[in-house]
Amino acid sequence: MKKNILILLFILSFLFLAPSVHAQASPSPEDDATMRDQLITNIASRVAQLKLVEKRGIIGTVSDVTNTTLTITDTQNNTRFVDVDELTKFSDLSDTGSFGISDITNGMTVGVLGLYNKDSRRILARFVDELSLPVIIHGGVSSINNINYNINVATEDGKQITVEVENLTRTYSYTQSTDYIKSGFSKIKDNYNVIAIGSLDKKNSNSLIATTIIIFPEIPSSPKVNSALEKVQK
Amino acid sequence: MKKEKLILFFVAALFGLLVAGILFFIFQITKTVPDSSTKTVPISSPTPTISPAVTLVLNQPKDEDVVSSKVLIVSGKTQSNAVVTVITGSSSDVIAPSADGSFSTTVNLDDGENILEVIAIAPNGESITIKRTITYSQEEF
Repeated sequence: MKKNILILLFILSFLFLAPSVHAQASPSPEDDATMRDQLITNIASRVAQLKLVEKRGIIGTVSDVTNTTLTITDTQNNTRFVDVDELTKFSDLSDTGSFGISDITNGMTVGVLGLYNKDSRRILARFVDELSLPVIIHGGVSSINNINYNINVATEDGKQITVEVENLTRTYSYTQSTDYIKSGFSKIKDNYNVIAIGSLDKKNSNSLIATTIIIFPEIPSSPKVNSALEKVQK
Repeated sequence: MKKEKLILFFVAALFGLLVAGILFFIFQITKTVPDSSTKTVPISSPTPTISPAVTLVLNQPKDEDVVSSKVLIVSGKTQSNAVVTVITGSSSDVIAPSADGSFSTTVNLDDGENILEVIAIAPNGESITIKRTITYSQEEF
């Protein structure tokens, strides 16, 4: 009796084990697919590792500086950390050649070109340049001074900026019929939608020395500008 | 005998609950509330969300891109009746989008880091602005 049971167990175990042994010997199509998927995953992971670092350029205002790190608030108001090393090159506006990290101060506007690490989200700077960015204001013409050749532009945030028109200032106009053409100071009228590009007067932060003025005679100033203007007038 | 009594008890209890439920339901549907005992409470409507008069999507270029050509293609989508202004430090252009609102133009870049500002202006004067930092460099590192 015992012998019969042992034989039965042996046959059963053989029946169960045989397919698995067979499977190990010759992989099935499913196993092939799994191996292929694993291989693809490994390759993709390696590719991702290789692309972990990419070239990027940012512009921002320095909020903190140490011997090896710059903390910058970028144009989208994000805080960015920039590492500098012995290979980082620095340049200032006057291009003195002796400009270095010790000359960078809080509040300075800089451009950083370097290698951005997607993992650490830090930039290893290769070039750090001091910048003077053009100021762009957009609003509506609230008044025109034909004697001093300037216009007041009211912006959506309720500011009144005096735009100084110099000899070098280029004025353009855009309408549907004429397209984008050269224009002049005399063509500027009250309540026109206007964009002015230039640099702020160092003596007066509410004054912009314009290099370019673009007027839109067919487009009135924004309702937001008008309401901001009314609030200021009240 | 005891078992029969217990079953009878449960059946009676269930029947009682059923009858009570039906009576309560009939009472509820036939009940009338006099006008004097009702009160009208004004519910203030929520502040309507003002949808912007103009939208702007910039497809190209990506923020913080480093490019090796001084001529940059700028493309995106806005309202078909809007006007799109593309400004960099050294150039500016104003274009009208096509009938489906898409637009594309080229601008010149300065050496190094540039701020690209794209402003879409609606016919009523409302506008939306997108800023991108684009760096022109041919340095290898």
